[in-house]
Amino acid sequence: MSAIIQSGQAGIGLAGLVGRRVRLGLIRDRILLFAVLVGGWEVLSHTVVDPLWISRPSLIAERLVALAASGELWRNTQRTLLEAVLGLALAFAVGVPLGIAMARYKYGHAVAEPFIMALHSLPRVALAPLFIIWFGIDLFSKVMMAFSTVLFIFMLNVHEGLKTIDRDLLDLLRTMRAPRLYVTRKVLLPWIVPWLIASLKIGVGLALIGAVVGELIGSSAGLGWYIEKSAGRLDTTGVFAGLVLLMGIAVAGNLVVARIERRFSSWRPS
Amino acid sequence: MSPIVALRPEQPADPVSVVQPKIAIRHLSVDYPSPDGLPVRVLQDVSLDVAPGEFVAVVGPSGCGKSTLLRVLSGLLDPASGTAAIDGRGVADASDRIGFMFQRDTLLPWASVEDNILIGAELGPRRVDRARLGELIAFLKLKGFEKHRPHELSGGMRQRVSLGRLLAYEPEIFLMDEPFGALDSQTKAAMGRELLRIWSAHQRAVLFVTHDIEEAVTLADRVIVLSARPGRIRLDVQVDLDRPRDPKTLRRDPRFLSLVERVWGALDLQADL
Repeated sequence: MSAIIQSGQAGIGLAGLVGRRVRLGLIRDRILLFAVLVGGWEVLSHTVVDPLWISRPSLIAERLVALAASGELWRNTQRTLLEAVLGLALAFAVGVPLGIAMARYKYGHAVAEPFIMALHSLPRVALAPLFIIWFGIDLFSKVMMAFSTVLFIFMLNVHEGLKTIDRDLLDLLRTMRAPRLYVTRKVLLPWIVPWLIASLKIGVGLALIGAVVGELIGSSAGLGWYIEKSAGRLDTTGVFAGLVLLMGIAVAGNLVVARIERRFSSWRPS
Repeated sequence: MSPIVALRPEQPADPVSVVQPKIAIRHLSVDYPSPDGLPVRVLQDVSLDVAPGEFVAVVGPSGCGKSTLLRVLSGLLDPASGTAAIDGRGVADASDRIGFMFQRDTLLPWASVEDNILIGAELGPRRVDRARLGELIAFLKLKGFEKHRPHELSGGMRQRVSLGRLLAYEPEIFLMDEPFGALDSQTKAAMGRELLRIWSAHQRAVLFVTHDIEEAVTLADRVIVLSARPGRIRLDVQVDLDRPRDPKTLRRDPRFLSLVERVWGALDLQADL
C-alpha cells in the first residue's frame, strides 16, 4: 500500500543542481530540446506525414491564437480547470475525514476494507456514463468524476500516514493528559501534511483525467469537449490545440503543488 | 483538588505525609497479549513504595517488565491484578502531573526546540513566559539552538530538549524509562549530573528505569532489581552514599563498588543470553 505514496519530483528538477551557470545551461538545453522536437514535428508534417494525421506546430499555434481571440480558449480551459479544482477540493474535504475515521475506527475499517478496495480498483472512467445520467451533462457530473478519481488517494494516504504515527509521542501526550483536540492540532494534523502533499501531487493529474473523461463522454463545454468535437471532424489541429492546453493546466498544477510543498516540508517522516 | 504547585522544593514532610507513600504498588501483575493469543505475564506480584522526594532506580534484564511498571503508573497500561496508586488514589484519578521520559526522544520533528519545550508548558500548570523559557534553555545548554529542529541536533541535545519539555510541564513525579540509554557514556554521565541537580533542587519522587547498574547506584537512593520475565523484585537495596555525589570520585569509593557488586550479584544474567 505504500506504493500509493509517490515522492517523485514535481516537474522542475533543478533542485539537485547547484550553481547559476549550471542552471542557465540547463534552461538553455531544455529550450534547445523543445526546439528540436517541435522543429522535427514541423519538418515531418511538411515532408513525410500528411498533416491530416499529425497536424503541424505552426497550425496549432495559429489555432490557439484564433481560439484565444474568439474567447473559446478561455471558456473551455476555465471550465475544465474549474471541474478539476472543484473535484480535487471535494475529494480533499471528504477524503481526509474519511482517512482519519479509517485510522480511528479500526474495526469499522476492517469491515469496510474489502469494499473500499473494490471501489478503489474499479476503473473510475467507467463511471462516467452513470454520472452523466445521475448528475447531468453540465459541470456537476465532471466535478463528481474528478472527485471519484481522487477521493481514494486522499483516504488511503491519510490512513497510511496516521498508521505510521509515532506511538511513543502519542503515549507521552497521554501521560501529560493532553486533550484530544490538542493532540489533533499539535500532532495528527502536522503529521499528515507530507501525505497530503503526496496526495495532491498525484491528485492534480487524476482530477484532470476525471474531468476530461467526463467531458469526452458527454458535455457541452471544456477542453475534453473541444477535443472530442474536433476529432469528430477529423480536425487534428483542434485536437492538438486541446491537448496543448490540457498539458498547460497540468504543468501549472504541478508548479502550484511544488510551491506548496516547498512551503510546508523540510520535515518528512522516513 | 491539589493546589497548583510551581516546580519548587516541597515543604519539609510532616509526619502524616511520611506515612503515605507518593507511589504505592501492591501485588501488581501485568500481562501482555502474545501472538498466539495467550497472555504472557511480564510482571508478577510486585509491591513497591516510593516516598515523596525519593529517587528509586529499577534495573533488570531485558524484557523483565521494567518499562511496563512505568507504563502502568502513567496510566498507559492496565494491570491484570493488583493496584498502583499515587498519593493513595488510583493512577487514573491521580491529580499529580506525571513527567514521563522515554529512551527515544519523542519530540515533534517539525517543531523548533522552543516549540517542543513549550508543549510541556502548555499542558503544565502555568504559562511559561519568554524569560523563563530563556532560563530553561540556558540551563539545558541549548542557547543558540532555540529555532533548530530536532533533526539538526545531536542525540544528547535532543534528550535535553525532552528534559526541557518535561521540566516545563513541572511534573510532581518523574517516570524515566532509560532516558539516557541511547547516549554515549560521557553525555550520559553529564545528563545524570544534570538530573541530580534538578532533583536535589526540587525533591520530586523519581522512578528511574535503566540497565546500567553504575548509573543506578550513582543516581538513586534505592535500587530495585527485577528478575527475568515474569519480573519479580529480587533485591531492594538502600544506597547510603552521601550527596551531592560526584561520579568521578564515587567510582573509587569502596561502598559504591560493593553496592554495584551486590546489584550485579542479584541480576539474573542468564536471561540476557
